Amino acid sequence: MAAFSLPRLASRGALSGIIALYTFYALAPFVWLATMSVRTTGEISLNHYAWPKPFHWEQFRSAWVDSDFATYFWNSTVVVVGAVIVVTLIGAAAAHCLARFQFRGNRLIYGILFSSIIFPPQITLISLYQILVDYNLYNSLLGLTLVYISLQLPLTVYLLEGFFARIPQDLFDAAKIDGYGDLEIFWRIALPVGMPAIATTLILNFIQLWNEFLFAVVLITDPEKRTLPIGIRAFMGDHFQDIGMIATGVMISVIPVIIVYVFFSEKLIRGMTAGAIK
Amino acid sequence: MTPKLAAARDPSAPSRTSFTDPRRATWPIIAIFVGPALLVYFGLTAYPAFRTIFDSFFTIDGPGAISFTGLSNYRDLLTDETFWAAVRNTFIWSFVAPVLDVATGLLLAVALYAGVPFARFFRVAWFTPVLLSYVVVAILWMWIYNYDWGAVNIGLRAIGLDSWTQSWLGNPNTALGALIVTHAWKWAGFNMVVCLAAIHSLPSEVLEASELDNCGWWDKLRFIIVPMLRPTLLNLYILAFIGKMKIFDLVWIMTQGGPLWSTETVSTYVYKRAFNWNTFDLGYPSAIAAVWFGVVCAAVMLLNRLLASRERLEF
Repeated sequence: MAAFSLPRLASRGALSGIIALYTFYALAPFVWLATMSVRTTGEISLNHYAWPKPFHWEQFRSAWVDSDFATYFWNSTVVVVGAVIVVTLIGAAAAHCLARFQFRGNRLIYGILFSSIIFPPQITLISLYQILVDYNLYNSLLGLTLVYISLQLPLTVYLLEGFFARIPQDLFDAAKIDGYGDLEIFWRIALPVGMPAIATTLILNFIQLWNEFLFAVVLITDPEKRTLPIGIRAFMGDHFQDIGMIATGVMISVIPVIIVYVFFSEKLIRGMTAGAIK
Repeated sequence: MTPKLAAARDPSAPSRTSFTDPRRATWPIIAIFVGPALLVYFGLTAYPAFRTIFDSFFTIDGPGAISFTGLSNYRDLLTDETFWAAVRNTFIWSFVAPVLDVATGLLLAVALYAGVPFARFFRVAWFTPVLLSYVVVAILWMWIYNYDWGAVNIGLRAIGLDSWTQSWLGNPNTALGALIVTHAWKWAGFNMVVCLAAIHSLPSEVLEASELDNCGWWDKLRFIIVPMLRPTLLNLYILAFIGKMKIFDLVWIMTQGGPLWSTETVSTYVYKRAFNWNTFDLGYPSAIAAVWFGVVCAAVMLLNRLLASRERLEF
């Protein structure tokens, strides 16, 4: 970074150069992937870096219909949406209670729920496999959903507790005087007021679970039940040379994330980096 | 006597206190709120974690074939060379890679803070890799490292360094480095956003004063930004460290721990022993997982302690 000690003009130039280079480095692989997703494997093997001409949009149709990516997509959707809704509800309830009420054991419960955020996944993985087999939940989307709920619970409680704790107590006191019960206060006051934070956790949990690989690969072996990450990985194992179709499948898995990102980039970034900023 | 009347007479009754002090709630209410979360935690996190540790004292060849073997799994671990290779790789990765991640993030944040046009666009663009799943990142970079047509080798050939081209993931000397670079590519944007937020929250007088003193960006970075950002940077380091102690997906998809265990991490080794080697024993991988659980917890506590005492010394 010697550029910083050079005269101002040169340092401006160097800065722009670095920024341009880094932007290329950060984005080029993704753009490359996007171009390959609309080219056939034959075209790609002739030249891996050419611009698509023509755009083979039918690649998406055949990935969706002929290569089972639709099945994987819907499995992912069912598991992730289910887990995200449930984890948000029970996480918000716990966070509200921990932020609002003083009772013996409050910090202990918070510590217990939060501590598992540092657990290496293997410590639960092997037994979860055994447990799900015992309860006939192995190879089932319901089993995977339950595991996903437990995976995202610590982060959800952590993010929401911090937010709920900052809601002014007066709001709750007023509601109490108006005759609201504790459950009503949660449902009618805390949840709506906490919506910005809840939206952030919804988006964050969605993206993390949408991308989850390790637990899915252990707990799901049935091809019919595969989620997108393990479906793509399995497809790649079977059709190693079919680069065009792999790229199309990968794009199908990335599109929902990009859509969420386009609309909620601020919220998402804030959620992901919450707790790291001091 | 109805409960309501009893409550009215006795000021210490729970419903009475909950009415006078909104910070208190009855135990049933608390149970309704935290009960489901605790149930999920105990059923799907605490119990499995406990069971893994318990299992580590057994040899488990199947539902009916469980035999107590005491500490023998742990004894075997001491002489398991693959395990030690995995530990070595994971430690290299956990201690070295976060420096790369955090330094890149900080430099990018300073570049944005220096007031380039379109900073918002760059911030969003640089953050994009963070969102891609490890499967996507792994597949992309396997192609980038491809010997014949990967971007790395094509680039080297283009500038006449043909002798440097190699099979980056197939060579035991370069495979781990290649994975670390890929991982840094994914996470730099995350560190950048955090550093940027931290820089913006610095007291502006300090940076303005340095501006008046004609302080260059390099000096500003060295003498003002880095020292003042120390808590954030250390926090990021710990966060990256924890992430790397758990690393699995990227390695599993790109190299499966090969070639010659040069990229084996503890996570991939546990996975192999439990689900991939057809050894059908869940006891031994449980022992590895239990040991690693202890190592991660100890490392996090140690780092926290070290950093906390630092803070006390300096401020």
